[in-house]
Amino acid sequence: MIEEIIQIVVLSIIVIAGIMAISFKDLLAAVISFTAASLLLSLEFYILQAPDVAIAEAGIGAALTTAIFILAIKGTVRREES
Amino acid sequence: MIEPFFLVAALLLIFMVCGIIRIVFGPTIPDRVVGLDTINTLVVAAMIILGAAYNEVIYIDVAIVYALLSFIGTLYIAKYLEGGM
Repeated sequence: MIEEIIQIVVLSIIVIAGIMAISFKDLLAAVISFTAASLLLSLEFYILQAPDVAIAEAGIGAALTTAIFILAIKGTVRREES
Repeated sequence: MIEPFFLVAALLLIFMVCGIIRIVFGPTIPDRVVGLDTINTLVVAAMIILGAAYNEVIYIDVAIVYALLSFIGTLYIAKYLEGGM
C-alpha cells in the first residue's frame, strides 16, 4: 500500500522534472532539471529492486551526463534564442 | 500495519517534492543548484532507509556509490558557475 504511494510520488516528480527539462530557455537550468530526473529515475530502479541498474544509472546519469553537458554548454552558448 | 521504514521514506519523499519546487520556481541558477544538492542528499538517505526496509545488506552499496557520484555532478556545475574549468 505505502510502497505504491511512494512509487506514484517518485514517478510524478520524474514527469515534472522532465517537463521542466524541455521547457527551460536557460540551458544550465535544463541540465539541472535533467540531472534531477535521472537521479529520481535511479531511485525508482532501486525501489523496483534492481540495484545494479540503479548503480549504472547513477554513474551515467548523475555524474557523466551532467559533466559532458556542462562542458558542451561551456563550448557553445548558454541561452537558447527563442 | 504500516512499516515504519516505509513511513520514513514517504516523509523523505515529501521533502524531495519541496526540493523540486525550488528547482521549478527558483529565480536564479544557484537556487536550483542548491535544490538539486538537497535532493541528492535526500535520495541517499532514502536509499539507506529503503535498504533497511527491504532487509538487504547489498542495497547499501548503491547509496555509497550514489553519494560519491552526486558530489561530482554538483562540483561540475559549481565550477562552471565560478567561471573556471
